[in-house]
Amino acid sequence: MDTPVLGTSAAPDSEAYARNATSHAELVEDLRKRLAAARLGGPEKARTRHVERGKLLPRDRVDTLLDPGSPFLELSPLAANGLYDDEAPSAGIITGVGRVSGRECVVVANDATVKGGTYYPMTVKKHLRAQEVALHNNLPCVYLVDSGGAFLPRQDEVFPDREHFGRIFYNQATMSARGIPQIAAVLGSCTAGGAYVPAMSDEAVIVRNQGTIFLGGPPLVKAATGEVVTAEELGGGDVHARQSGVTDHLADDDAHALRIVRSIVSTLGPRAPRPWDVLPTEEPAVDPAELYGVVPTDPRVPYDVREVIARIVDGSRFGEFKKEYGSTLVTGFARIHGHPVGVIANNGVLFAESAMKGAHFIELCDKRSIPLLFLQNITGFMVGRAYEAGGIAKHGAKMVTAVACARVPKLTVVIGGSFGAGNYSMCGRAYSPRFLWMWPNARISVMGGEQAASVLSTVRRDAIEARGGEWSTEDEEAFKEPIREQYEAQGSPYYSTARLWDDGVIDPADTRTVLGLALSAAANAPLGEVNYGVFRM
Amino acid sequence: MMFDSVLVANRGEIAVRVIRTLRALGIRAVAVYSDADADARHVREAHAAVRIGPAEAARSYLSIPAIVDAAVSSGAQAVHPGYGFLAENAEFARACEAAGLVFIGPPVAAIEAMGDKIRAKATVSAAGVPVVPGASDVDIPDGGFAEAAARVGYPLLLKPSAGGGGKGMRLVHGPDELAAAIESARREAKGSFGDDTLLMERFVTTPRHIEIQVLADKHGNVVHLGERECSLQRRHQKIIEEAPSVLLDPATREKMGSAAAEAARSVGYVGAGTVEFIMSAKNPDEFFFMEMNTRLQVEHPVTELVTGLDLVEWQVRVAAGERLTVAQSDVVLNGHAVEARVYAEDPARGFIPTGGTVLAVHEPSGEGVRVDSWMTTGAVVGSNYDPMLAKVIAWGPDRAAALHRLDLALADTALLGVGTNTAFLRALLADDDVRAGRLDTELVDRRLAELVSADVPSEFFVAAALDRFLELQPSGPVVDPWDVPDGWRMGGSGGVVFRLKSGTARAVVRVQGTPSAATVFVDDEAPVQVSARRDGDVLEIRHAGGFHRYRQACGPDRTVWLARDGLSFPFGEQEFVLSSRGEAAGAGPVTSPMPGTVLVVKVAAGDVVKAGTPLLVVEAMKMEHTVTAPVDGVVSELPVRAGQQVALDETLAVVTPQEEQQ
Repeated sequence: MDTPVLGTSAAPDSEAYARNATSHAELVEDLRKRLAAARLGGPEKARTRHVERGKLLPRDRVDTLLDPGSPFLELSPLAANGLYDDEAPSAGIITGVGRVSGRECVVVANDATVKGGTYYPMTVKKHLRAQEVALHNNLPCVYLVDSGGAFLPRQDEVFPDREHFGRIFYNQATMSARGIPQIAAVLGSCTAGGAYVPAMSDEAVIVRNQGTIFLGGPPLVKAATGEVVTAEELGGGDVHARQSGVTDHLADDDAHALRIVRSIVSTLGPRAPRPWDVLPTEEPAVDPAELYGVVPTDPRVPYDVREVIARIVDGSRFGEFKKEYGSTLVTGFARIHGHPVGVIANNGVLFAESAMKGAHFIELCDKRSIPLLFLQNITGFMVGRAYEAGGIAKHGAKMVTAVACARVPKLTVVIGGSFGAGNYSMCGRAYSPRFLWMWPNARISVMGGEQAASVLSTVRRDAIEARGGEWSTEDEEAFKEPIREQYEAQGSPYYSTARLWDDGVIDPADTRTVLGLALSAAANAPLGEVNYGVFRM
Repeated sequence: MMFDSVLVANRGEIAVRVIRTLRALGIRAVAVYSDADADARHVREAHAAVRIGPAEAARSYLSIPAIVDAAVSSGAQAVHPGYGFLAENAEFARACEAAGLVFIGPPVAAIEAMGDKIRAKATVSAAGVPVVPGASDVDIPDGGFAEAAARVGYPLLLKPSAGGGGKGMRLVHGPDELAAAIESARREAKGSFGDDTLLMERFVTTPRHIEIQVLADKHGNVVHLGERECSLQRRHQKIIEEAPSVLLDPATREKMGSAAAEAARSVGYVGAGTVEFIMSAKNPDEFFFMEMNTRLQVEHPVTELVTGLDLVEWQVRVAAGERLTVAQSDVVLNGHAVEARVYAEDPARGFIPTGGTVLAVHEPSGEGVRVDSWMTTGAVVGSNYDPMLAKVIAWGPDRAAALHRLDLALADTALLGVGTNTAFLRALLADDDVRAGRLDTELVDRRLAELVSADVPSEFFVAAALDRFLELQPSGPVVDPWDVPDGWRMGGSGGVVFRLKSGTARAVVRVQGTPSAATVFVDDEAPVQVSARRDGDVLEIRHAGGFHRYRQACGPDRTVWLARDGLSFPFGEQEFVLSSRGEAAGAGPVTSPMPGTVLVVKVAAGDVVKAGTPLLVVEAMKMEHTVTAPVDGVVSELPVRAGQQVALDETLAVVTPQEEQQ
């Protein structure tokens, strides 16, 4: 091991350290509370009724499906947080990556205790995102279906568009075509369009006297043809297992169905070989427990991002690339849980040199089949006449091109600010990182609230004064305050995660574990060819 | 002339034990085996072995011709019968003689004399050995009852001569109760059996079973080797035996020993034999002859440990014609020995036999500890033979020391794969009366409820969960984070949940952390801090400040057996089916698989059928389809008959599952 080991300048006795630690602890406590609330699912009455029917709650279904002790890398557990009058915790659907019969799978489980498991706009988005994770990482999909279909009051936001309900089945068909297994267990309703989830699956299980699949439920049938029929007669387990052939396995209850799914997964073909080598794991040499203390929660306070890297990577070993050049971007080689990673981390605003260095490093990693890890804490690119004249736009474009075109898995963690074009060059959501997480102290918006308020008030002042009017400082302040408030609210990681701009808000202390799980999951997908667009020189 | 080769006509621990002495004497040991014992320990430890028949004892170990043939063909000069099977069979002894083999046991005449219990009593009584006093109506002159009763002694038992099963029996404590008891006993005897003849017999209260070991040669020498107390019994099955008995003083011991030697002489006994006496715990001065066992006893090791003699060696020497070199005055009882019998039985379920395949066995050893056993890994304990697996015997300078050693030895006995009574034995040894030597043959039944427990201690569930947890830990230098069984979740690790069962006991155990630092939740109990380590087949658990070693073995179906302190339990996964629904798989009507003709109807409505039982045969497309019952149940409907045309999916029969009928 010739890679140098990072040190630390942490001062655990300092006032700043204590302030940081307390502040992070409070943020994490808030995160845990939100997660605990979302974990419950729907209202108590709905949960009680669900269990009384002999059904397992969705999270128990996931636990029963997964291998004993398997981690579950849940995706966006706080989706729809603050939306729909908070009536849809986790957007009524649980998604994530977990291990089933020794194989990492994407699990999608409807929560019937949340409005009967119906699809709100964010439910659709979350379902589609889970399928995207499966597609990008070549992971089998297991759908635990218990849903009444589209949430009818919002049909215009869930039904017709490209990224709406129909896309679920499009994804099932195209993933199946690519050899990504699609498996469904019908553990409850599976109505209308939802009927296609099992029907479009490679293999499907249904629970007798519990699961139902039909295009039109009994009320619709009665309205349409006058035929009076019970749900079980219309689309129960016996009908589909014995007559229609829509399902392939008949189960007696949830646990039985999940056991059948586990057995199906055990028959899947071999995994693809890992695209990179994995070495024995080494714990960081610098204590990860100090992460709370060394990172200021205020994105305006600068610190050396190597303090974070040292606490995430194996043995705190970091082979830094172009250390002395473009030093506001830190780049280098490391390993996480034995997987190779090329780390790209912000240490200040991006200059032309840092952008070019970033583009160079991304190409290096891509050529060497090394996954990229972006640690994002960026206010943006440097602005001003000299920089524009120096071509910062084209240098930034080089980095953005490199980020967009790199075929190796990209993982992004927003550990501080995520503002403006910085978000793009540091592999924001639009650049399809395999996974993107935020720390609770992170902020995300096109620019800072104060900057936005200043820009808008400057424009307004110019307009007023051009008409010969006057604008008092009080009036200007009254104008700026709501803008600041709006940016403050919309910049929150919880605003972001509610809308699926990320895959979840994580406890900074979990970063290393989350990255390890993600890298291992990402290693299931073979890499494509290295290929880049035109770099403006 | 000492024998060159001896056949051991037995199996199990006694065959192993006899072979041990034969080897020590430099004699070639020939084992016999049934098909069930082809790979048994006695076969492996013998110099040679001969198959004598199928598992069934009547056609193997009880087959005189098979065993005599085996002895002759293997070149054995003598046959040691062990105990049980043919050990007290005069026919067998005779057949051996006829084949020119020496039967290592008493002469045929002695076996026959002692084999008939009534004759045996008369014979020994004539030789002056006390028997239980009694009298029969036939011998009592009219009006002589009171006198006869006084001769028999109180308390006494009146029994109908023609009776049985306790009917018409009267216990009489003193002369004042006698007349009324006789009258009512007669009335009941007359009513029940049509015969009012009565017998009276001394009733021995709080009876103790004490037996004397004797050894006799062919030259008229008889010695007695002290007594064994076998009062701890259940349904006449001895459980714990010891030598000497706390009840006897040297004078009584000498009196009983002389009586036993007399009894042996009275039938011309040769070899090792045991004379059984009954005596009342309340009156140790009186003892009565019960019977004589003309063979080696199961419990002979306790005598060997206190006398220093090898009884099997002496059986062989005497059979070879040697003289006893031990005079009565040489016999000194040194210290105390106690034996416990390990059976394949479940005390918590009425001592039903358990059986199974032995996955692993650990037997105690050390100063003063002896184990006579046939247990080996892979041994199959079935229902063909006696369920005794091993005898654990401990010697100590005094009774307390011997009991203590035996308890520790039992605690160190681990048999995985087969349920045993070891924990029950330890509980019995811990009983205050047993410790104090206040024994009688009814003690075990009286205390049963306190001695037997069906509980699986929570600590065992913890150990079983950690055993599985250790199994889940990734090995090798490259550890994939998906391999780490910590149940990691956003916002905290959920740990691993194990839903375990052991017999009827159930527990849900959640384990958080790592094997070296785990927090364990059992059901709703407060969490405990546990660390676990595996060292070969030993599971070490540090639990709530205590350190315990469990022996571990894996059986079929991922069952894990754990044993500690004489306790041994199998642990499996709970069938995780929700309680609200049963296995309704396949229930419902049985329908025709093809359009065709019913060829045969094999059942009638109302028949009880098992899943898979053929119900009818349907002929279609030149094929005969046998239609079977989908579930266990009753044929509740049978709407078709032979020759009838049936359509696809037409109902042929309805089988109603059993639980639905109740």
